[in-house]
Amino acid sequence: AYSNLCLLLLLPPFTVLDFNPLLDETNRILTMEDPDNKKLRSTPRNADDVISLVMPYVTDPKDRESASLVNRTWLRADSETRYHVTMALCYASAPDRLSARFPNLRSLKLKGKPRAAMFNLIPDNWGGFVTPWVNEIALSLRRIRSVHFRRMIVRDLDLDVLARARGDELEVLKLDKCLGFSTDGLLSVVKHCRKIKTLLMDDSSFLEKDGKWLHELALHNTSLEVLNFYMTEFTKLSPRDLETIARNCHRSLVSVKVGDVEVLELLGFFKAAVNLEEFCGGALDEDPETPDKYIKLTFPPKLSRLGLTYLGANEMPILFPFAAQLRKLDLIYAFLETNDHCKLIQKCPNLEVLETRNVIGDKGLEVLAKCCKKLKRLRIERGADEEEMDDERRGADEDGNEDLGYLVTQRGLTALAHGCKELEYMAVYVTDITNECLRTIGAYLKNLRDFRLVLLDQEERIVADLPLDKGVRSLLMGCEKLRRFAFYLRPGGLTDVGLGYIGQYSPNVRWMLLGYVGETDEGLVEFSREGCCPKLQKLEMRGCCFSERAIAAAVMKLPSLRYLWVQGYRASETGQDLRVMSRPYWNIELIQARRVPEADEMGEVSEVEHPAHILAYYSLAGQRTDCPPTVRVLD
Amino acid sequence: MSKVTTELDFFGLEKKQTNNAPNKPKFKKLLDRRRSFREIQGAISKMDPEIIKSLLATGANPSETSTRSLSVPSTPKEDHQRILISPVHAPLTRPSTELVSGTVPMTIFYNGTVSVFQVSPNKAEDIMKVAMETSPKKDKSMEKHLSVIPPTTLRTKLFGQNIDGDLPIARRKSLQRFLEKRKER
Repeated sequence: AYSNLCLLLLLPPFTVLDFNPLLDETNRILTMEDPDNKKLRSTPRNADDVISLVMPYVTDPKDRESASLVNRTWLRADSETRYHVTMALCYASAPDRLSARFPNLRSLKLKGKPRAAMFNLIPDNWGGFVTPWVNEIALSLRRIRSVHFRRMIVRDLDLDVLARARGDELEVLKLDKCLGFSTDGLLSVVKHCRKIKTLLMDDSSFLEKDGKWLHELALHNTSLEVLNFYMTEFTKLSPRDLETIARNCHRSLVSVKVGDVEVLELLGFFKAAVNLEEFCGGALDEDPETPDKYIKLTFPPKLSRLGLTYLGANEMPILFPFAAQLRKLDLIYAFLETNDHCKLIQKCPNLEVLETRNVIGDKGLEVLAKCCKKLKRLRIERGADEEEMDDERRGADEDGNEDLGYLVTQRGLTALAHGCKELEYMAVYVTDITNECLRTIGAYLKNLRDFRLVLLDQEERIVADLPLDKGVRSLLMGCEKLRRFAFYLRPGGLTDVGLGYIGQYSPNVRWMLLGYVGETDEGLVEFSREGCCPKLQKLEMRGCCFSERAIAAAVMKLPSLRYLWVQGYRASETGQDLRVMSRPYWNIELIQARRVPEADEMGEVSEVEHPAHILAYYSLAGQRTDCPPTVRVLD
Repeated sequence: MSKVTTELDFFGLEKKQTNNAPNKPKFKKLLDRRRSFREIQGAISKMDPEIIKSLLATGANPSETSTRSLSVPSTPKEDHQRILISPVHAPLTRPSTELVSGTVPMTIFYNGTVSVFQVSPNKAEDIMKVAMETSPKKDKSMEKHLSVIPPTTLRTKLFGQNIDGDLPIARRKSLQRFLEKRKER
C-alpha cells in the first residue's frame, strides 16, 4: 500500500484518473484492502476523494501533522481518519477541542501528573482528572474502543460513565499508575464491557472492597487477551476465578500480570492458560524446610516473558527447563544475588529484554554481554543501599583487585557495549562511570534510541573521572538515533562546557532528564544556543544551580520545547523572574515548597522538605482551573 | 485523449534513477518505487507543507518541478564544530565531597531553595545567631520560610541520606514498596 501511496502523491489533482492504468491498479488495491470503507466509489472523481483514500495509510503522527497543514481538504481528511491520539499532558488541550478535531477517534492515551510522581515528588491531588475526558467520550466520541490513562485521577463514577457509554465496544482499558477509584468502579467496567480484551491496573492505588470484579470477569468474559494488575495490593481475589478466566479465555489469553498471589495457588491457572506467553507477579515463599515446595509448578508451553516476585536462588532452577525460550525476564522484584544472576542469565541466550536491580553487578553484566547477543532493552534499577554497603561485597579479592564485580560500574557497561550491539534501550543506575566508558558506548551501541544514566550518590565511592564532558560528547555523537536521554550526576559531574555539548550533539532527542549538570547559568546559555536541541519537546531538570532567569531564557530559545519540569533551582522571591518566559498559550505553574511527613528506611517519621517545582507547558485550553492549594498558577 | 501526467518528485527519487528515461515503461517505474518505499517512509513529515501547497497550486510543469528534489533538513553537524571557550570568570563551584579541614556542610532552606555552605562550627553558630536576631518589626512570613538546619540534624531531616545535603536522588515508589516488603520476608 505504501508504494501506491507514493504514486498517488506523485500525481496532481486534476489528472483524468479514469484512464490512468496506474491509478486503476491503486484503486483496485485500495478497494480490496479497506473493507471498512463501504462508501468507496469504484473510481475517485477528484482530489478530495483521492486524499481521503490515501490518508488512512499515513500512520505516523508526525507525518499526519505535516499533511494536515497543507490545506483544508487535507486537514479534513486527517481529522476524519485519525484513529489514535496520545496527549503527553492532558492539560495541553480541552476535551471538546479533541472531539471537534478528531470525531472518529478509536483510541486515546492521556497522561496527567509529571513523571516525578512515580518518585513520590508530586502531591497525590495535583491533578490530571479523567472526568472531563470521560464525559466527552460519552458525549461525542462514539467510536472509542481503547482508553489508556497514565498517572491520572480516576473515580468510580468516571469508570461507570465510561463503561455505560461504550459498553461492549470498549476493548481496552488501561488504568496505568492511576489512583482514586475502588473495586466498585472495576466491577462496573466488567459488567458493562463484556467483550473487553485488555484490562490493566498496573501500579494503581485504589480501595479494595471485594473480589467481585474478578469473579464477574470469570463468569462472562471469553475474549480476554491481557489482564494486568501487577504491583497492586489486592487481597480479596480468588485464585479460582483466575483459573476460570484462563479456561474460558484459553484461546486468547496471552499476558497476565498479578499482584502478590502465592504461586502455589496458581497451579490450576498455569495449567489452564495454554496459550500464555507472558506472566509477571505472584509471590514465591521460600521454605528451607521444604526445598521441593515448588516442584509441582509447571508453566505454559509458550511462556517467553516472565517475572516471578520474590524468586530466590533455591527456586531459580524451576526456570532452567525453559530458560532458552525466554525473551523477557523481569528480576526487579526477585531476591537474587550477583552470582545467581550469572547462573540464570547464561541459560538465556535468546533474551531480548532484561529488567533487574543493580545487584546484578559488573559480573552479571559481563555474563549478559557474553551470552545474550540479542539483547535490545536493559533496565537496571536502584536496589537497597545496603546491597552496596555489605562488607562481603567490598574489599579486595585474591589478586588484589578491589572491584569484586558486585556493583555496576564502567566495567560492566563497557562489556555490554562490546557484547550487546543490538541494544536500543538502556537505563542504568551506576556506582561509578568513566569518560572512556561513555565513549565506548557511543562507538558500539549504534542502535540506542533511549539512554538513561544515573550516578548514585553513595558517599563511600569516590568517582575519579569527573567531569564527564568528553565522554558524553562522544556518546551523543556516536548514538545518532538517540531520541530519549537522561543524565543524572552529582555536583562536578558536568561543566558548563559539557552541558553545551549535550545541547549541540542531540539533534534527534525529544526528551531529556538532566540532574546536577552544569556549574553556572552559563551552562544553560550554552545548552540553548542557536541550533542546539532542535527537537527537544520535553525537558526535566533536577538539582541544578540555575537561576529562574536563566531557565526562562533558555526556554525561550529552545524551538520545539512544549513541556518543562524543574525541581531544585535558584528561585526568586515570588517566581517573578519566570515571567521572562511569559508568552501566549504557555502555562507556568509552581508546585510550592512543602514539608511532608515521611518514614525513612529505619521507619522513623520526620518532616521532609520538598523544594518547589516549576511546571510549564503549552496549552490550548487556557490556565488550569482545578489546581489544589499546593499548585500556584503564574499569570 | 492524451494522458497528461505530471510527476512531482517529492522524495527526490529521480536523483537515483536517470531522469532522461521517458520511454521507461510505467510498470517498471512502479516496481522501482516499490523498492524504494523504505526511503519514503517517514519522509512526509520532513516535507514542508508549504512546498506541497505551492506545488499543487502550480500544477503541471514537468521541466520545472520534476527535477526539484526536496532535501531532508540535514543534521546540524557543520554548525556545531565550534570550539567552545570556557567562561573567563571562575565558575561557582559547589562544595565537593572533600572537606576543607574543620568545615562541615551547612544547608539553608530559604523560600523554596536549598543552599549548601562549607562552614566551621563557629561560623555556623554566628549565622544562626544572626538569623535568630529578628528586627523589632518581625515579619511572620519570613520566619516561616527561613529555617537553618545545623549539620548534625541534617541527615535525618533531608530524605534520609546524601553527601552534601542537597536534593538526594528520589526513589521510585514501586521499588520503595518492594524494599520495605523485603524486610518483612
